[in-house]
Formats: sequence, structure tokens, C-alpha cells
Amino acid sequence: MALLELKDLSLTIDEHKILQGISFDVEEGQIIGLIGPNGSGKTTLFNVISGFLKSSGGSITLGGEDISSLSPSLRAKRGIGRVFQNFGIFRDMTLEENILVALEALPKDQQKELGDLKEVVAGTLDMVGLSDSGKKKAGSLSGGQMRLLEIARTLKAGKGLFLLDEPTAGVSPKMTGQVADIIKELKRSGKTVLIIEHDLPFIGSICDEVVVLDVGKVVLQGTPAEVKESKELKEIYFGADPTT
Amino acid sequence: MDFIWHIIAITCMTIPHALAYNLVFGKGKILHFGPIGVSLVASYAVVIIAISTGSFIAATLVGLISVVLLSLFLAWLSLRLDQDAFGVMTIAVHLSILAVILNWNGLTRGALGIPGVPRFSFLSSVQSFAIAAAVVSLLFVIALRLIDRSSFGRQLQALAEHEWHAKSLGINRTKVHVIAFLVAGLGALATALLFPQYLAFLHPNDYQYPFLVFFITIIVAGNPGSVYGVLLSTILLTVLKEALRFLPLSSAVMGPVRLILFGIIMLAVVYWRRDTLFPKQRSI
Ligand SMILES: Nc1ncnc2c1ncn2[C@@H]1O[C@H](COP(=O)(O)OP(=O)(O)OP(=O)(O)O)[C@@H](O)[C@H]1O
Ligand SMILES: [Mg+2]
Repeated sequence: MALLELKDLSLTIDEHKILQGISFDVEEGQIIGLIGPNGSGKTTLFNVISGFLKSSGGSITLGGEDISSLSPSLRAKRGIGRVFQNFGIFRDMTLEENILVALEALPKDQQKELGDLKEVVAGTLDMVGLSDSGKKKAGSLSGGQMRLLEIARTLKAGKGLFLLDEPTAGVSPKMTGQVADIIKELKRSGKTVLIIEHDLPFIGSICDEVVVLDVGKVVLQGTPAEVKESKELKEIYFGADPTT
Repeated sequence: MDFIWHIIAITCMTIPHALAYNLVFGKGKILHFGPIGVSLVASYAVVIIAISTGSFIAATLVGLISVVLLSLFLAWLSLRLDQDAFGVMTIAVHLSILAVILNWNGLTRGALGIPGVPRFSFLSSVQSFAIAAAVVSLLFVIALRLIDRSSFGRQLQALAEHEWHAKSLGINRTKVHVIAFLVAGLGALATALLFPQYLAFLHPNDYQYPFLVFFITIIVAGNPGSVYGVLLSTILLTVLKEALRFLPLSSAVMGPVRLILFGIIMLAVVYWRRDTLFPKQRSI
């Protein structure tokens, strides 16, 4: 059984069909890349999976349970971890508080399993090389640091399914490698990852499979190599290729 | 000397409600403009029951129940409505409560107010009021500091900064709002138990719109969300308000002068804090 099953998801807002019959499965431990032109519905699909938007049709199953009618916070408690395009870090809070608030939002039994939360906080800061900055406001971090912190926090909070929305956006080229490393770390820890990215080589280097969206539909699905070679991808991004 | 005690009494009677309201409006950044409406309900419930039954226990209990019900209603509204709609709605709630109190003459004596508010036996002098209010204030300062640094405080702050980001961590917005509004309601109740007794008179004019302006000025000037900041601004602004009495002005002029002064203070601090007062909700 797949960890996440999307069946015929659709979303219509004001007669505007934003998602149309999206279906695909995500196996446990897989890293799936979600690509597509601007406005193709990638972020919207994440919003539907994490519960901020209610789909107009279809179902979402996580670990065998239909979660379609659950609130975002209940879905988070079921193990969905979201990393936002514009950084889900609270800039007016310190780094420590940013991590702590995520741990404290976990169900009580999961908190117990983590043991001493202070130590988990220290471990998370250590993981991203920010041990000395725990008392600083998160607003003082660079984009790359915020992204690393956000991913590390989600990992330490024990989430099973990661939804990463353009994790390299707003990150300096120098730190992109570190972001890639931490995503590979997710894979090593057996996490399941859905990742939206525009950077195709980046996607190619970390994903097991790629799903291509265009105007709210899945138009292509396959290994990175298959997708890269396909005629459809070029058509979507560059229009029909006149040489073929 | 009595004047000093009077200032201490007035200030310390304002502190519980101001600090508790700061949790919702300052830290939670929830546009709740109805705290004076909650005060009205609390004060009238306590005073009417105290007079009709002669029992302070019954009065406190009924006050508590009415404050809890109203706070739950406000929390429910805050979850249902957008920020701006909620802001307008809470002003409407305040004004509706005021309208009911002004017109339900049989129960509230309307615009005449209720004289002869009975006092707790240990509250016989200005001094005793000041000390009792100071003790209550101290308890509120301690409690709100603890709340501020608790996991609840962090969850409230996270929701204030970005609702979606907070929810995606698993934070339960309903629970957080209900707790925040209940704490604010308890602050209103604490103030309601002391203030009308101190004046020995409960009058709807003490719960008009200008008092909302005063409250908001306190929060904004004290740095929204900060317990010590709001404590300090409550002290300074209450002292200022009371000191204005010494100006050689007729009472007809005094009201507007006060209002204009606090309007100017509020305008100045809002302008000064315009970048940090309400965070821009970033897109996702
Ligand atoms: N709440 C909404 N109401 C109306 N339209 C919406 C809403 N959310 C998204 N849309 C529309 O849905 C379409 C898909 O948007 P979405 O943000 O999902 O695209 P995307 O694939 O993430 O693009 P990008 O690569 O630019 O991030 C856009 O046309 C957008 O305007
Ligand atoms: Mg997007």
C-alpha cells in the first residue's frame, strides 16, 4: 500500500478549474519531484494535501486512512510536514522557540518519545550549524539558513511525509548544496518526500520519480531520465518544438 | 496622601484587565475591540447579583459564568470571521451590550446607573482598595508572565505571525483562541469585582467608547504582547489620566481634552510602531 494516495483530486474556485482529476501514489521512502510551469497548480495541490484548501472532488489517503475531511492541524498530527515556499519560520520568535513550538504541537505520546525537548532543540540547531544562534530572532537568518532550519525542525519533529515547496527558492547558490544534502538526509532516514522544484538538474539528482503538472493535470510521470527525454516536457515549457 | 492611594488603587484595578486583554490583542494580534463590552457584562452581572442576593459568592459565580459565555462567543466569532470583519463585529458587540444596559431600565436602571454598590467587608478605605488591587495585579503579572513563556504563549504567537504556518505544525487554533479569550475574560472579571465597589457606583458612562481608546493606547504604547511593557504603560497612562484632573478645566472640557490627548498618544505610537504593530501576512 502506498503511503499517500491521491485519487481524482479536483479543485474549482469561481468556475476556475485549478486542479483537474489528479491521481498518483507515493510509496513510503520515495522522493517524488513535482514540476510544471508557473501557475500549473503545484502549490495548490500541496494546499489541498495539507488541508488548507478543500478539494471539490476526489480523495486523499494517508497510510490507509482517508484524511480528506481533516483540518490542517490534524493532518499535521498524522505526520504531514510542510515546508513553505516563503519560509514557514516565525521571524519574531527566536530559533529555539521556532523549534520548540513545532515539537510542542505534536501529540503528547510523540512528545514523550522525543524525550527532553530542550535536547531535541539543541540537536536540531546543531544539525544546521546554528548552535550559537539559539537565542537570536529567526528574522536575522538568511534564506538558506531559514530553509535548513525549517527542514531540520520538520525532520526532528518526526514527520513522515514531507511537502517541500521550492526548497531552493530564496537560497543563495552557495547554500543550495546544503539544502540538497539535508533532503538526501531525509531519504536516508526513510522519509517520504514530495518536492516542488523548477531546477531540473536538482530534481534529477535527488528524485526517484517525477510528476509533471500542466494546467492542473498530471501530464507525465516517470523516472527523471524518462521525463527529461520526453517530447511533452519540452512542449510544456517551450511550446511545440518545430524541428520534430 | 489619599490621592497617592487613589492613584495606586485605580492603576492596580486597571492592570488585571489590561494585561489579560494584551494576551488577545497584543500577543495574539486578534483585532478584539470588545474588551469594554466584556467589562460591562462582568460588572453588571456582579453588581446586580450582589445587590439582589447580598452574596458576593453568588455574584462572583454569576459574573464568572457570564464572562465565560461571552468570551466563548467572542472566541467563536474570531474563528469564524476574517480579522477585519471580527474587528467591526466586536465594536458592534460592545455597543449592543451598552444599548441593552442603557435600555433595560428594570434591571440596570439604564442611564441612571446603580448607586450603593455593596463592598467586600475588608474594603473599607481607599488604602485597603489599593492594597487589595495591588495583590490582584501582582497575581495577574505573575500568571501572565508564566502564560507568556508557556507552550500556549508560543502557539499564540506563532498563530499571530502566520496562521497557515502555525496550523501546518499541528497547532490547534480553536483551542488557542478559546484559552486566550477566557484569560482576557478573567481579567475583565477581576477588574469588575473591584472597580464598581471602589466607586460605590456603577455607571454605563464609565464603559463608553473612550475607554476602548484608552485600553488600546495602553497596549500599543506598551509594546503589544509584552507583559512588562504593558504593565509600565498602564501605570504611566493611568497616572497621566488621573493627573489631568489637576488641570483647571471644567468637567465639560475635561472629557474631550482627555480623549484628544489619548487620541494623539495613540496616533503617535501607532505611527512610531507602524512596521511592527501588525505583521504583514506573507504569501505562502
Ligand atoms: N485561493 C485561490 N483562489 C483563486 N485562484 C487560485 C487560488 N489559489 C491558486 N489559484 C490559482 O491557481 C493557479 C495555480 O496556482 P499555484 O500557486 O498552485 O501554481 P504553482 O504551480 O505553484 O506556480 P508557481 O510555480 O508560480 O509557484 C494559478 O492560476 C492561481 O492564480
Ligand atoms: Mg507555487
